[in-house]
Amino acid sequence: MVSEDEFDMQDAAAESAEDDFYSGGEEDGFDSDDADVADYEFIDNDSDDSDDLISHRYQQNYTILSEGDIRQRQDDDIMRIATVLSISKVAASILLRYYNWSVSKVHDEWFADEEKVRRAVGLLEEPVVPFPDGRDMTCGICFETYPSDRLRAAVCGHPFCNSCWAGYISTAINDGPGCLVLRCPDPSCNAAVGQDMINVLTSNEDSDRYSRYFIRSYIEDNRKTKWCPAPGCDYAVDFIVGSGSYDVICRCAYSFCWNCTEEAHRPVDCATVAKWILKNSAESENMNWAWDVGLDSYHISEEYGHNCTYFTQFFLQLLQELALVIGSCRQKVFMSPVNGFRSRILANSKPCPKCKRPIEKNQGCMHITCTPPCKFEFCWLCLGAWSDHGERTGGFYACNRYETAKQEGVYDEAEKRREMAKNSLERYTHYYERWATNQTSRQKALADLQQMQNVHLEKLSDIQCQPESQLKFIIEAWLQIVECRRVLKWTYAYGYYLPEHEHAKRLFFEYLQGEAESGLERLHQCAEKELQIYLNAEGPSKDFNEFRTKLAGLTSVTRNYFENLVRALENGLSDVDSHGACSRMASSKSLGGGSSRARAGRGKGSTSRSSGPSRNIDEPGHWSCEYCTFANIKPATICAMCQHRR
Amino acid sequence: MANSNLPRRIIKETQRLLSEPAPGISASPSEDNMRYFNVMILGPTQSPYEGGVFKLELFLPEEYPMAAPKVRFLTKIYHPNIDKLGRICLDILKDKWSPALQIRTVLLSIQALLSAPNPDDPLSENIAKHWKTNEAEAVETAKEWTRLYASGA
Repeated sequence: MVSEDEFDMQDAAAESAEDDFYSGGEEDGFDSDDADVADYEFIDNDSDDSDDLISHRYQQNYTILSEGDIRQRQDDDIMRIATVLSISKVAASILLRYYNWSVSKVHDEWFADEEKVRRAVGLLEEPVVPFPDGRDMTCGICFETYPSDRLRAAVCGHPFCNSCWAGYISTAINDGPGCLVLRCPDPSCNAAVGQDMINVLTSNEDSDRYSRYFIRSYIEDNRKTKWCPAPGCDYAVDFIVGSGSYDVICRCAYSFCWNCTEEAHRPVDCATVAKWILKNSAESENMNWAWDVGLDSYHISEEYGHNCTYFTQFFLQLLQELALVIGSCRQKVFMSPVNGFRSRILANSKPCPKCKRPIEKNQGCMHITCTPPCKFEFCWLCLGAWSDHGERTGGFYACNRYETAKQEGVYDEAEKRREMAKNSLERYTHYYERWATNQTSRQKALADLQQMQNVHLEKLSDIQCQPESQLKFIIEAWLQIVECRRVLKWTYAYGYYLPEHEHAKRLFFEYLQGEAESGLERLHQCAEKELQIYLNAEGPSKDFNEFRTKLAGLTSVTRNYFENLVRALENGLSDVDSHGACSRMASSKSLGGGSSRARAGRGKGSTSRSSGPSRNIDEPGHWSCEYCTFANIKPATICAMCQHRR
Repeated sequence: MANSNLPRRIIKETQRLLSEPAPGISASPSEDNMRYFNVMILGPTQSPYEGGVFKLELFLPEEYPMAAPKVRFLTKIYHPNIDKLGRICLDILKDKWSPALQIRTVLLSIQALLSAPNPDDPLSENIAKHWKTNEAEAVETAKEWTRLYASGA
């Protein structure tokens, strides 16, 4: 057995010795050591490493652990401590739990000051009070007197009867994982109560729960391990911090970010994702809304007048229920209608000039009558009393008072604020909708991929007389689609937080995003629709090989686009600083991919586009397909990649 | 009596509370509910509560002694660890409860809390702030409140 201390002694200079050590014994039993020598694992130029599996693990900076693996590791750690410190396994597990399952920490502390550790953890060496055998004693909890064989004590010797012990332990287990650090019930005593006593004294149900907490603690209290956050997934991940990307793909196929445990969000950083998710959280929006507007639900109770709706109590309740629903399935769905309610109220409602309750006007004339008890009648436009209005102010559908005052700039500030709220709501909705659509699209693509793998591939293989191994390009295309949908989705969160004033960056970003998006749309279209033809065909299709070339080509083109996009976002669009706005913008605008069209409508692009140096991609002798950008030779009039006419 | 299935422990504790009361503390069960106690604690000497008689209520929940008793001041008191509803911030009433503790030990702890207010772990933010910024003045207020509300009238 090689202890941690010895590992620590070995320096990077001794790498090769380590490699030998590992290639000699890469059995599971040594898995638990991996984490401890994490510092060595990302030296990936270990050229002498011949074992493929091992080298693969060296690249991947995490290990997926099943429940069996976890128990195995936990047992191994406990065994090591018990052996090295010559203590019982129960005592070893109490120690390890106290030091967050760090074997090296236990070693360090124990050998530095065993007495101190024993006191802190509650591992007494001898009883505090004698436990006299063969005499009747009083239980310290129920005050009943029992013969000594019906009483029990931890190492400290404080006697309690078996049924009080059972109640004490069971209460602690019911209270949660705190039961793992259970101490003697005597308030002045801190003797630890170990798993051995718990197993003897409680029901099977309770000891099962205890052992679940025990195994959870091994993952949750350890800095290097986390549970996969996917609902219902029981795998854990052992991650080597400081070794590159945070993205983890669990064995359950869920991919998530190790750092923030949200779903994988590369190339967007954790802080942006957190902001975005908070923004999407209807719960928090509604909270703010209710607080800020100071809604008094007793007052807002009924609809009144013929053209304005009031936020009724019913509506509020509905909102709260929605928020609950949304809160309970966070990660899964965000309901867009509820999002941004606060801004919506600011944008579409005004406070009653008399009682200040918010009123939303959704149709009709400008004559507003507030709900009882207020009943104030006023003009929606100028917020003046209705008694001042009539024919002479321009009729019931106009308000000259308003027009005049507006010209004088009276309403500017309030108007501006409303306008801003409206704009910001629209802006948010723009990004949110695209974020959510890609999310949905990804889910659909995942389902399609499964369907393809489980059902269609075999069918297609039969129809087209192709071995399944020759149809891998379809699976690859779908995998690419799923991944791209994820990236694209997060680029909308990125876009939302990209400052408006960074025009060049925005343009560059929107260009890359637009390119990537239209590439993806073509790929998705091809994999979804065109494949159907070959799936529904009677027999082998002549042009199946062309389809293969096309789909594989689109897959690789799309992959390139997305790699560019990811790279650009990860370095903070820093290319813009050197190149200025890319001149390829011009061509991308004419492509009219879904997103770029929508964005062009906001009319920001045209002003600053011409600033950067022009870069012509058309090389002599080639033309670039404007659909897929494939560089075709001059004589060809149809793109070799996507069959798009020049 | 409705309290016939009262655990022996509660009966024993009650008997002992009545036969050998702790100094400055009295606790007697309510006639119709043996789990409900009327408590009086005398303000400890050399504390701002000296001379005051403080009424409290104490209730033993169904899970007692596995769960802590519920205790509350009925007399208004100016103390950083007691809020205006009389709720008490005391560790043994919360996470530090142990079934080996008793009514007696709880009440002794509350008495000790009156002698040694702990403004660093406050329940009443304002009073704690007062205590920390101007202890002399806060103590005066506590004395004043003791005179006004706890003078045993």
